[in-house]
Amino acid sequence: MVDITLTVNGVTRTGSVEARKTLADFLRDDLDLTGTHVGCEHGVCGACTVIVDDREVRSCLMLAVQAAGSQVTTIEGLAHDGGLGPLQQAMWDSHSFQCGFCTPGFVMQATAFLAAHPEADEQQIREALSGNICRCTGYQSIIDGVLLAAQRTRQG
Amino acid sequence: MPEIVAERYTGASIKRSEDPRILTGTGRYVDDIKLPGMLHAAFVRSPLAHARVLSVDVSAARALPGVVAAYTGADLEAMTVPGPDVLMALMGAPGPSPEFTLLATDKVRFVGDPVAMVVAADRYFAEDGCDLVEVEYDDLPPVANAAFALDPSSPPLFANLGDNIARPHSRSEFGDVPATFAQADRVMEFHIDVHRHQNVPMEGRGCVASYDSDLGVMTVYAATQSVHVSKIAVAMRLGMEHDQVRVLAGDIGGSFGLKIGASREELAAAAASRALGRPVKWVEDRGENLTASGQAREESFDVRAAVSNDGDLLGLDVKVVIDTGAYPGMGTMVPGIMQEMLPGPYKLAALGFESTAAITNKASYVAYRGPWASETFVRERVIDLMAKDLGIDPVELRLRNAAERTDPPASMITGRPLVGVTTRESLERVAQLVDIPAFRRRQAEGREQGRYLGIGVATFIEAAPGPRSPEGPSGPMGTESMRLRLEEDGMVVLFTGQMPHGQSHQTTLAQIAADEFGVPFEQVRVVVGDTAVVPFGLTGGSRSATMTGGVALHGARQLKVKVLDFASQLMEASAMDLQITDGNVWVRGDPASAIPVSEIAQQAASGQFGADVDANLEVQASFDGGEGGWSGGTHCAIVDVDIETGLVKVERYVAVEDCGALINPAVVEGQIRGGVAQGIGAVLLERSAYDQDGNYQSATFMDYLLPTASDIPRIEVDHLQTVPLDADVNFRGVGEGGMIVAPPTLVNAIEDALAPFGVRIREQHLPPARILELIDAANAT
Amino acid sequence: MKLPYLEYAAPADVTEALGLLGELQDEASVLAGGQSLIPLLALRLARPALLIDINGLRELSRLSLTDGWLAIGAMTREYVAEESLAVAESVPLLAAALPLIGHEAIRSRGTIGGSLAHADPAAELPAVALALDAEFVVRSRDGDRIIPAVEWFDGYLATSRRPDELLVEVRFPTARPGTGVAFLEVARRHGDFAIVGLAASLTLTGGQITDARLAFAGVSDIPVRAAEAENLLVGERPSRNLFEEAAVRATARLNPPADLHGSAEYRKKVAATLVRRGLQAAADNADERS
Ligand SMILES: Cc1cc2nc3c(=O)[nH]c(=O)nc-3n(C[C@H](O)[C@H](O)[C@H](O)COP(=O)(O)OP(=O)(O)OC[C@H]3O[C@@H](n4cnc5c(N)ncnc54)[C@H](O)[C@@H]3O)c2cc1C
Ligand code: FES
Ligand code: FES
Repeated sequence: MVDITLTVNGVTRTGSVEARKTLADFLRDDLDLTGTHVGCEHGVCGACTVIVDDREVRSCLMLAVQAAGSQVTTIEGLAHDGGLGPLQQAMWDSHSFQCGFCTPGFVMQATAFLAAHPEADEQQIREALSGNICRCTGYQSIIDGVLLAAQRTRQG
Repeated sequence: MPEIVAERYTGASIKRSEDPRILTGTGRYVDDIKLPGMLHAAFVRSPLAHARVLSVDVSAARALPGVVAAYTGADLEAMTVPGPDVLMALMGAPGPSPEFTLLATDKVRFVGDPVAMVVAADRYFAEDGCDLVEVEYDDLPPVANAAFALDPSSPPLFANLGDNIARPHSRSEFGDVPATFAQADRVMEFHIDVHRHQNVPMEGRGCVASYDSDLGVMTVYAATQSVHVSKIAVAMRLGMEHDQVRVLAGDIGGSFGLKIGASREELAAAAASRALGRPVKWVEDRGENLTASGQAREESFDVRAAVSNDGDLLGLDVKVVIDTGAYPGMGTMVPGIMQEMLPGPYKLAALGFESTAAITNKASYVAYRGPWASETFVRERVIDLMAKDLGIDPVELRLRNAAERTDPPASMITGRPLVGVTTRESLERVAQLVDIPAFRRRQAEGREQGRYLGIGVATFIEAAPGPRSPEGPSGPMGTESMRLRLEEDGMVVLFTGQMPHGQSHQTTLAQIAADEFGVPFEQVRVVVGDTAVVPFGLTGGSRSATMTGGVALHGARQLKVKVLDFASQLMEASAMDLQITDGNVWVRGDPASAIPVSEIAQQAASGQFGADVDANLEVQASFDGGEGGWSGGTHCAIVDVDIETGLVKVERYVAVEDCGALINPAVVEGQIRGGVAQGIGAVLLERSAYDQDGNYQSATFMDYLLPTASDIPRIEVDHLQTVPLDADVNFRGVGEGGMIVAPPTLVNAIEDALAPFGVRIREQHLPPARILELIDAANAT
Repeated sequence: MKLPYLEYAAPADVTEALGLLGELQDEASVLAGGQSLIPLLALRLARPALLIDINGLRELSRLSLTDGWLAIGAMTREYVAEESLAVAESVPLLAAALPLIGHEAIRSRGTIGGSLAHADPAAELPAVALALDAEFVVRSRDGDRIIPAVEWFDGYLATSRRPDELLVEVRFPTARPGTGVAFLEVARRHGDFAIVGLAASLTLTGGQITDARLAFAGVSDIPVRAAEAENLLVGERPSRNLFEEAAVRATARLNPPADLHGSAEYRKKVAATLVRRGLQAAADNADERS
């Protein structure tokens, strides 16, 4: 077992993990942050996407021990004053999701992408989100939510 | 008659009440459940398609630290009660019943068949344990396709059946088939193949089973489309009384037909929990999901079409062989629906239909969104092939053959009346939206520059719920029940057996009830997912819009009558003079008299009324579908095919739909777009591939390819004004149509793009390599 | 789908890493970005006794430009290289290929060295390295070896790296003036591994091709250079006919593998198409850059 300390959603967390445990499993099982979902555990679906030190990563393809000392943000960390963050609000307004299983991955991926590319157009957003799989929506409502969030941010 | 409240919510794209939890990561899916002392199960699965199991040794697994128990198939049989697959028993699947054990005992029948189960402190240890289980197999010849299964020399998968036929061959005729074919100007023949693909919800199957040995009660937290069906399955297989089993479900990460009832693995987890006296979680991983959860649609059709030179489709004669995979179930039931639906909205004079279902060494055939969809694929493909041969525009040809709306309505040759069907309107609307002549000009210009554009349309109808039968007293989909209650805090609570897994019932049913009862939307709560409190029900078959929407409407109306009756005593006014708006009961014309419904409910609960006053503000409602009706529509795709790489880009997609009165347009459009995306995926990307020895080749997301945001275009949705049939309930189901009609729409468009090469397409799956093969084959002839 | 039991070490420097590698040899796996290795572990297709995590080795993520070579440390993340101006200006073919690797979240962790050490024949970077005659610097307790790209790739997911060696750096020759590049691929979906990919580079001097480089991904168990086509191109002026002929020569002897995503025949056809399109795109790019 390895002892680790990291910051998750602004809070210092510690844990004692087997080296083989993925960051996704650590967040879900050890920290009870079940908002991060696992949909494939081999890096393809994007449901487990979280932000580690300002970059989006797949938490199923990173070991928990590797996150020691890092700043990790999960979907639970996006709420503003207990309410929805601007992207979440725009996604609610756009009826972005159905079953919600893919949602944490899309929200985190789009959060990271919009932070780096606030001026992105639809085509760029589609490409940026093409590593995340949603089986329910056909994507349009998700793209619309991201576009709406980008537009609101630009308008201040 | 109760006063009709102005509609405020129904028909509007009200934001979903599910979303705040989903968007913040506070939803509760089955894998999020953690109970004290909970253990984790994993399964050892067969690496072989067909083999005798000589021995299973779990001793090394049992000895591994962290492992709590390991079970063989024989162990599990001793821990449970034998029985057939519960779902199939409930649905009355036709055909013989193969012997069915939770884990393989004597034989394995497909790659992924569960052979042993390891229960451990966590899933990592459980999988370590699985690695240590030793299974000795004796290979048997794999029955890897339906053709071999139907050959009497193939080794039977189930000894008690003696052959590999799951549904004996049968033939039915409607109208005068021989005469229709004899009189036809021409008879066209095609072989059409539909390939195996699968549901792939983003969340796999799974459960947490928790047995309380003191109370003798089993609680199962499930991912299921019906908590009650799961409960029956658990009770039957564990030999428990129904009241000893409680099934609960929270958020469910999609299903599309996969999660009906309790699977073999879930039943095994429940048995283990009872044996160990501790909660056991099993959540399937993606490998298990792709390999073993079930697959759909592998069907092949021999079609003869009787056609007139003017373009009348006079009759069809269709033979289908279904590959049901290893444990027959849904695959034996689908032919009946296909047969009934094959005429679609067209004026066929005759239909011959033959079917056989074969058992093979592949994952079992399960329901997948529009399970009978291949009938639409076949019919809409035949129409386009016919159009090509006759030189008639495919939209024209469809209009020529689609039944007119007459009084009395025309009927399908297989029986059902085509009442209120708007196929013709949807075809005309598509033509209008797309401007086909302008497209044809663009297509011609493109071809000169080596760019191959194509357009395709296809049309469908779906019995969601279907028309009320003129003869029978019963509704088109049985009945749907709901319990409704006014709580003391003023909430109107709906208890439904629907088990939403993305369909937004907690929003849409609340919209209907809020309008009908007269409270704000936020004052309605929809309770799902607990066998202790919800009535029997199932989310599936596109039934909930009409059936559950209808029972919400009628139930809210009944509850309102009851509340007003009670209020009339408090308010000393006739119930006739009372109304409820905005959550207040008031005497008409006297706004000052308004009393919040919460206060009425508190009074009712105070116990100060005699037996002559009905103060129980609860109703039990049921609804039989009313007049019912059809859903349907026409879709159109425009594609750009790169003839040097075979890549297909869907440039534009238009869906014109009539699903009756819309409860929540954004929800409806989400269902349509999601279904279309699955249809596009099926044609361009998705295939559950086996090699000729029955080895599964699509066990990861690198091999089973789901469409992404770069593959799916914007999908334009246009709603037709519906023909109302019922006095109150004209909402119709829309869950399956997109998936049913998108494949023929897209294939028709691809064939149109490749028309200069004379390509004719008789299959559904068109990956890039196949597109080039089709072009080469056409060039060679 | 959980990783098998394994030991884990995060050495503080390269020397310590080399010590562990030397001791355990192929019982150990080097963990770089983990974007290929962790899926293999999750599927339990790899079962190393020890993971040697080199993510903490800063000395392996340096980028330096000297004497016509761009040296990239093995631990350089794919996104860092993608965003690097030095890469874009000095090795444009690499810059063209990087955005095609998977998705943003993959490139957040995946490394240049990891991709080249993994040596997936369908991957982009191996084809780029082969096309450009990159050099691989590997280090063991015995010292450094420099392995040219032609000798690096040694079969499906195999390289000529010895088990005790660590890939520390990859050197790419910088592009000469007048060079145009293109990386084209046909994949089932955006971000997927290529069914067939092509790295193409043309250097034009006074309208004449003075250097031509073509390498395929996805047509064999290793990346494949199209030397015959390159020879044909050098000395000629770009033209449709020339590129047609180059496509024929480049693919005549290919014998690609078949899989779920494409038959051998299909791959061969697409390879020819990519040569035609890739050469045209590279020629256009040369015009743009000059
Ligand atoms: C969904 C998905 C899509 C992807 N799509 C693509 C794609 O389109 N194209 C593409 O090229 N790649 C793709 N990849 C793979 C990605 O590029 C990987 O990052 C890369 O192939 C491996 O780099 P890594 O740093 O992650 O290496 P790791 O996974 O850490 O290691 C890979 C292998 O190389 C060895 N290794 C790593 N570094 C060294 C070293 N310095 N010395 C010796 N051995 C070493 C490891 O031991 C291991 O065997 C994809 C991955 C995923 C999950
Ligand atoms: S669970 Fe990590 S990418 Fe699918
Ligand atoms: S909303 Fe269900 S998977 Fe995306």
